[in-house]
Amino acid sequence: MLHQLKRFGSGARAAVNVVTSTLPIAIIGGLLYAGFFVKAEAVINKVEPKAVERRDNFFSVTAPSEQIAWAAGTGGKIVRSDDGGKTWHRQVAPTYENLQGIAAWDAQHAVVAGNHGVILYTADGGSSWKAGQVPKSDNPNKLFRVHIFDGVAWAVGEFGSLLRSEDKGVTWTRAMEEKDRAWNDIYFRGQNGWLVGEFGTVMRTTDGGATWTENELENKVSLMGVDFRDDQNGVAVGLTGTLLVTSDGGASWREVPRLTREHLLDIAWDENRWVAVGDKGVMVTSDAAASEWKLGRISEGDVSWRTQIARAGNRYYVSGANLGVLEGGKLTIVGR
Amino acid sequence: MKNETFSKVEHAFATLIRHRTWVVLAVALLTAVMGYLASHVEVKTVFSDLLPKNHPYVAVNQQFKSTFGGSNMVSIMIEVKEGDIFKPSVLAKVQKITVGLQQVDSVDTYQIISIASKKIKEVRASTEGVESRPIMWPELPKGPAEMAVLKEAVLNNPLIYGPYVSMDLKATLITADFLDGDINYSKAFEQIMGLVKEADGDGVMVRVVGEPVLYGWVNYYLDETIQIFFAAIASLVIILMLITRTWHGTVLPLLAGVISAIWALGAAKLMGFHLDPLVIVVAFLITAQAISNSVQLISRYDDEIAHGATTSAAAAVASAKNLFKPSMLAIVADAGCVLVVALTPIPMLEKISYIGTVWIFSIFVSALIMTPVMLSFFKPGQGFVHPLNIRPVLETILRACAGVVTTRLRYVVLAITGVVFVVSGWYAFNLKVGDANPGSPILWPDSSYNQDASDINRQFQGSDRMFVVVAGKEKGALREPEVLQSMANFQRYMEAQPEVGGSISLADILPQVRRVLREGNPMYAELGNDAGENSELTYMFVSGSDPGDMDRYADADAKNGAVTLFFRDHQGETIRTAVARVQDYVAQNPIEKADYLLAGGLVGVLAAVNEVILAGQIEAIALALLVLVVCCTVTYRSTVAGVFFMIPVMLSNTITFSYMAWQGIGMNINTLPVVALGIGLGVDYTFYIVDGIREELHHNPNVERAIVKALSSAGRGVLVTALTLITSVGLWSFSSLRLQADMGLLIALWLFISAFSALFIMPAIVYVFRPAFIVGSKQRPIERAEEPAVVV
Repeated sequence: MLHQLKRFGSGARAAVNVVTSTLPIAIIGGLLYAGFFVKAEAVINKVEPKAVERRDNFFSVTAPSEQIAWAAGTGGKIVRSDDGGKTWHRQVAPTYENLQGIAAWDAQHAVVAGNHGVILYTADGGSSWKAGQVPKSDNPNKLFRVHIFDGVAWAVGEFGSLLRSEDKGVTWTRAMEEKDRAWNDIYFRGQNGWLVGEFGTVMRTTDGGATWTENELENKVSLMGVDFRDDQNGVAVGLTGTLLVTSDGGASWREVPRLTREHLLDIAWDENRWVAVGDKGVMVTSDAAASEWKLGRISEGDVSWRTQIARAGNRYYVSGANLGVLEGGKLTIVGR
Repeated sequence: MKNETFSKVEHAFATLIRHRTWVVLAVALLTAVMGYLASHVEVKTVFSDLLPKNHPYVAVNQQFKSTFGGSNMVSIMIEVKEGDIFKPSVLAKVQKITVGLQQVDSVDTYQIISIASKKIKEVRASTEGVESRPIMWPELPKGPAEMAVLKEAVLNNPLIYGPYVSMDLKATLITADFLDGDINYSKAFEQIMGLVKEADGDGVMVRVVGEPVLYGWVNYYLDETIQIFFAAIASLVIILMLITRTWHGTVLPLLAGVISAIWALGAAKLMGFHLDPLVIVVAFLITAQAISNSVQLISRYDDEIAHGATTSAAAAVASAKNLFKPSMLAIVADAGCVLVVALTPIPMLEKISYIGTVWIFSIFVSALIMTPVMLSFFKPGQGFVHPLNIRPVLETILRACAGVVTTRLRYVVLAITGVVFVVSGWYAFNLKVGDANPGSPILWPDSSYNQDASDINRQFQGSDRMFVVVAGKEKGALREPEVLQSMANFQRYMEAQPEVGGSISLADILPQVRRVLREGNPMYAELGNDAGENSELTYMFVSGSDPGDMDRYADADAKNGAVTLFFRDHQGETIRTAVARVQDYVAQNPIEKADYLLAGGLVGVLAAVNEVILAGQIEAIALALLVLVVCCTVTYRSTVAGVFFMIPVMLSNTITFSYMAWQGIGMNINTLPVVALGIGLGVDYTFYIVDGIREELHHNPNVERAIVKALSSAGRGVLVTALTLITSVGLWSFSSLRLQADMGLLIALWLFISAFSALFIMPAIVYVFRPAFIVGSKQRPIERAEEPAVVV
């Protein structure tokens, strides 16, 4: 081929010569450069965290409508489902604190409470969460649960924290003086309200929470949850399987013989029966009269601790060591 | 070569052959000495040889491995077929293995962890306060009541339930760390497998993985490896015998291979090195080089005899003289390419590189000198050993080669070559650094080791560990909420990667203790509010336990701690992603009181190895090519020659890399030496052909005729070696070690492409482009040969 180039005269030959003599030098230079200076760059895969991660504990769950559910848990995690718990998406919260309680007014308005007095509220379905104005003192200000009764939000916590908000979570005021006793749960029916907490305490109000009086009880075990099905009939649950029942609006409480030594952490009236959940997957149920209590499990083989149970239609959401959806007796763990 | 040089070489060989008895005696004596040394070379794997020198991860691993668990961990899983593990018979087996592991060689007795060990404990509140006690040590539970208590303790403890007992309660894990100092893998392997075998059965399946077990398996297959090695040698002999039909054509190449091997292994002993069973294929490759050199010489010798050389000695001298240049070039270029591997700062690669260099240089004596000297002993014109004549087949192939070059087909060949080069070059970028598949790439996917690995990874969070050290700036840093919270967030961040099955650190333990202190209320399963509270929680956990029990998580001063991540596999990509994510997290979330240090454990060490290889692969390949270019440029005093000889090398490189990418063979510590060696190897055949062409041109200026003649003489040598070696290398594919099978195939592919390009592509390039260093130019015409060479 090269000899054919002769036809084009010395110019072409010179060009070929230049190429053949510079190319090798260029290649050697290139190799030297590559050998000493070029370092391979690894291609790194992008990892998108899932909405619900393995490490997440969910301390609280709420269901403002049949399709919508909200859950809050460790590390400032808030997730929401708009399809009855089938899919969940994460909402960005401006905190890394553990969030212990969540409650919603409707599909748009909700509030979460957690450690170090963190209270966040949203007015846009959770697209943005903003910090509420919360009175704090020099204790850890740990808040447990938040509930909404007649539009008023109530948050309970350590050192006697009882906070209320009438503007959908924006500003909060103390509803009771602080003392060295944690409040774990609160329930209202109209002007009547009940507050349960450490050392087996039950407090009662008849004026919408302006004044509270303490019930004298034999039980000294911490109570974790309280619920009423009407103005008279209510149940409170607590550690090591404690179950207290009232049928006179909380004036007197009788203790139900314990069915389990596991902690019971939440009680709910689901329009049919009483349901209590707690440690190691236990579930304690009873008829409306709260006389026939039965011990069972949320689901066979599930031993996770549960801090809350919330009903939406014929579906239950359970929060705790993980987030679960219980439908027709079948438990589905979100994210597994 | 200049006529002057020719005569010098000729004179030297003539002298050697004149004193041939002395030469043979001297070589024999040296070989005997080396043989004695070689017989003392140890064949073993030393894990520390795999660790890159001066790499920060390795430094972290070495500093902290004794406390946070090194890279030599064995995981044993006991799985029941029916029911759960909470049966006396099953737990007894767990206990028996746990106790038995204490007696295994080189085990770190402080790092044997199972539910039956003293290390796994629970913290519980009792009337006397809070106590932490082992859940199943020293006694197994007696009766159903105690069994129920144990089960509850397991279920209630996220540090056990998940990491050491599977979520479905059907399996439990026993882990043991080994000291890497002087671990004898075979011995430890035998003892572990003894325990495993004893426990297996009665409805219980026992699985075992870990680096010590992996290397144990490799050693276990050592006998088979050696058998294959000898089978490959035997097949070499048979094929050589079949093709050459002469004793000298069979015995002398073998002799060259054996002498080289003995010298190299003897030299290895002198240098204080050992031989890794995984790189025996590399040894075979170099032996192949020795054989190939020898075959070329013999093939040329036979030609000389056929063309009427009067004595055997004359033919031997002529053969040595004419092939001296390409042989030397091949040896020097190969040695240079292998030496480049030593630049990768991994001791094992350095050792391979040094042994390989010596080995290749020994070919100078074993083939270049010994083959002509020995040839001179044979009488010319002896009959054939057997009647089967394959030669016509070879001639047909060679005629086909010549046909391609001399017809228009050469353009087709060149065009196809161009296309193949571009396509394979593009596809080669898919080559992965590190292991490309889950399980160990050393063994087949269906090997019992890899099956065990996948079973364990199905039931548990992952059997491969990496620890990231959280190094506090002062004592007590690991009690600061800021640091602990950062660790917890870090774990959450890392676990988002699907291959990370889980993680554990002090930040997981303290919340459990705190929950117990707070009446078991899970809403208090959190870190303490301040350093004081965290310090109390730590104290609660440690109280009543042995000193050192806490070491897995943090040292006694609470200065340095570890986050241990569990990986389901150790593919290159998994590790790279994880390391990049650690760096991302640290960059985005700096903390004042501590630093995160990468990385220990097997995955940490592999991350270092992969980084070194990733950084080094371009360097190794580029420098090996540079060595080649420089060798060729100097030899032929032409820069064009350097570029010319790169063509077959680049081609075999891109095709082999594409093959590796396609077959999922990663570029790792075991494959890198083969790749570097292949660069030298890929060009040798072309040397012989090109030199043949040049030599013909000394006698006759017709380029076409020169090419055809070179193909029929040097080409035959190439064809014979390629056929012989490809066939015997193919035997490695029967190896129980996948690595060796893969490498065998890779080498076979390499040899095939080199032979193919030497026979079909390169002559066509010479014909079409007429490079001046081969065909001569007006300024530097080819020197004519003087008439008939001097005969001794």
